[in-house]
Amino acid sequence: MIHAESPALEIVNLRKNYRRIEALRGVDFELGRGECLAFLGPNGAGKTTLIRALAGRTRPTKGTIKVFGHPIDSIGARQALGLVPQDLALYGDLTTRENLMAFGKFHGVPRRELKKRIDWALQWTGLTDRAKDLVGGFSGGMKRRVNLACGVLHRPKIILLDEPTVGVDPQSRERIFTMLDQLNDEGASILLTTHHLDEAEQRSDRIVILDQGRVIADGTIDELVLSTVGHSRLVRVRVDRPLTAPVTVPGDGVQRRTVHVGEAGRDLIETRIDDVTVNLGPFLQAVQNDGYLVSDMEVQAPSLHHVFLHLTGNELRD
Amino acid sequence: MQLSLRRLLHNRIELLLTFVVPIAFFSVFALIFGNGIGSGTTPKVKVVIIDEVQSPDSTAIVESLRNSAGLRLMNDDLQDEAFSVNDASDMVRHGSVTIAIVLKSGQGESIRSDLLADASDQVAGQVVSALVGRELVIAKTRQAARARRTLVRRPPTDEATAVPNQPVRQPPAVAAESLDPSELVQIVDVIGEDKANPVVSMYAAGIAVMFLLFGATGGGGVLLDERENTTLDRLLSTELTMDQLLLGKWFYLTALGFVQVCVMFVWGQYVFGIDLLGHLDGFVMMTLVTSSAAAAFGLFLATLCKTRGQLNGLSVILILTMSALGGSMVPRYVMSERMRELGLWTFNAWALDGYDKVFWRDLPADALLPQLAVLMIAAVGFLLVARALAIRWEFD
Repeated sequence: MIHAESPALEIVNLRKNYRRIEALRGVDFELGRGECLAFLGPNGAGKTTLIRALAGRTRPTKGTIKVFGHPIDSIGARQALGLVPQDLALYGDLTTRENLMAFGKFHGVPRRELKKRIDWALQWTGLTDRAKDLVGGFSGGMKRRVNLACGVLHRPKIILLDEPTVGVDPQSRERIFTMLDQLNDEGASILLTTHHLDEAEQRSDRIVILDQGRVIADGTIDELVLSTVGHSRLVRVRVDRPLTAPVTVPGDGVQRRTVHVGEAGRDLIETRIDDVTVNLGPFLQAVQNDGYLVSDMEVQAPSLHHVFLHLTGNELRD
Repeated sequence: MQLSLRRLLHNRIELLLTFVVPIAFFSVFALIFGNGIGSGTTPKVKVVIIDEVQSPDSTAIVESLRNSAGLRLMNDDLQDEAFSVNDASDMVRHGSVTIAIVLKSGQGESIRSDLLADASDQVAGQVVSALVGRELVIAKTRQAARARRTLVRRPPTDEATAVPNQPVRQPPAVAAESLDPSELVQIVDVIGEDKANPVVSMYAAGIAVMFLLFGATGGGGVLLDERENTTLDRLLSTELTMDQLLLGKWFYLTALGFVQVCVMFVWGQYVFGIDLLGHLDGFVMMTLVTSSAAAAFGLFLATLCKTRGQLNGLSVILILTMSALGGSMVPRYVMSERMRELGLWTFNAWALDGYDKVFWRDLPADALLPQLAVLMIAAVGFLLVARALAIRWEFD
């Protein structure tokens, strides 16, 4: 059933139109086996449409989705997928165990294995002592964990997570990612959509950024940084008084050229420095030479946040 | 208050339903009891007449009753005038006619009548009794007049000559009897006379069917809840198909409705003396089929609506209207012919007719065939339409 060479997910030229609106405009990417891929994009970029198409909940207008080399509508393909939706799609008037049992059955977990899987899920989510409590009375973090467990009870090889940590506290978020790491270590491929860029950066092997229905970036964090904002550091220096004129940082005639930084009337100077070890000293010296005292300083390494804003812009996407 | 009003104004369907529900419900009752659709179509009581007297007077009574605006003589429709009293009694028992009028010889030349009635229709008995009583009194008066004329024409006797001032004597038979119609007409209940508290079973059935419908639409509404909280989306992303989902809900609602009605009738048996055990086969058949039809109806309404609010409004209108027309609230025999015909478009009417055959008329299970068939067809039909409507939820 599973092709040895094929990726876990292979999406080719995927398009989806809702009447006149093009939600997906030819999306291409792959999810490798055992890979954890973060799928990013501003609001309305098409992330949820893509997840729905992968989960078989919407029919693409065009393009193909292959699961381990097989079309998504082939027998067994759906069984290989586990969806964890953004909304808490649970029965609040059922207990944790009853919810797990229901979704386990719907996912086709054999009856003889169901109890074992439920016990595993309860232990995995840390909710063994709350197995008989109604889910409706749980905290947001606990509900999220049950939501996650219901989607993976059948041990899918590919897990689709749509904003799995939205609205939960840092402790619950940490717990959820520990749970996901465990599944990933056991060989599951993970496709995660999130707006928490730090999560995506820290927890994923690769990042795909979608905007206006198209993939605009695909690679590791280093690759994305290099291809967009580069490795230069952002340096912010606060001085003791507003500048009377921009500060002149002289070049050395070899590597550095002379630049003017800061704006008259502001006490904050921002600049980008390619090599901190070489350029930071001359920059601070130039500030001091102009008669200002440095009251605070911050050096920022390029992050996914910078890459994301660089690629998608600062405009609101409502 | 402003907030609530603004929210109501923004929800056009809820706004519509807020005012349409009471109007719709009021209209149905106005049509049943008022002068609306039912105007000029006062319900005619279906009767057959067995003339055991076969005299000119009894023939005149039959003719007069035939022309009565309140009766529909079924002898002509059935084209079989050779009815025996037993045949007529069976017809009443089967519900083919409401009352059988048996004209019998009374004392002397007088005619009296037995009305073989179905006591479940309490109005018909009184109406027919009054009409027949009137005709019998007229006939009796006619007989008395004839007898008087006969006496006047008779040649004078010695006795009469001897007592010239004595008034003309009435014929003994006529003079001895009263002209009170109630003494000339006797109502015989051919169905309910040997039953313990039989009418309660009919009310139980009426209420049960109405609550089955409410229960089924409430249960069907779970689909809309699941859709609104995205659980439906999640369910359909598993191996579960929409066919399985709908069938599962249909089986569940049918079973729940069946148990609900059973519990109600068991209570009725112990507290109100309904003979449930004596009619178990017919009861089980009717309840199973009625529950399944109600469950399918609930799913149909749920898939027809977009939100729970819409479903609540629509279901209240439809169920109360169907219950009113179908006889769950008001017995159908008080309705005009037209309203009764209209009632046959509701499955309350078919279900109640079935329960009526089981508990009231003591008919065998095969007599339930029309009711079972209609309810089963309704169940399958509603389920298929619900499935077709649910296609829109399967994919975007």
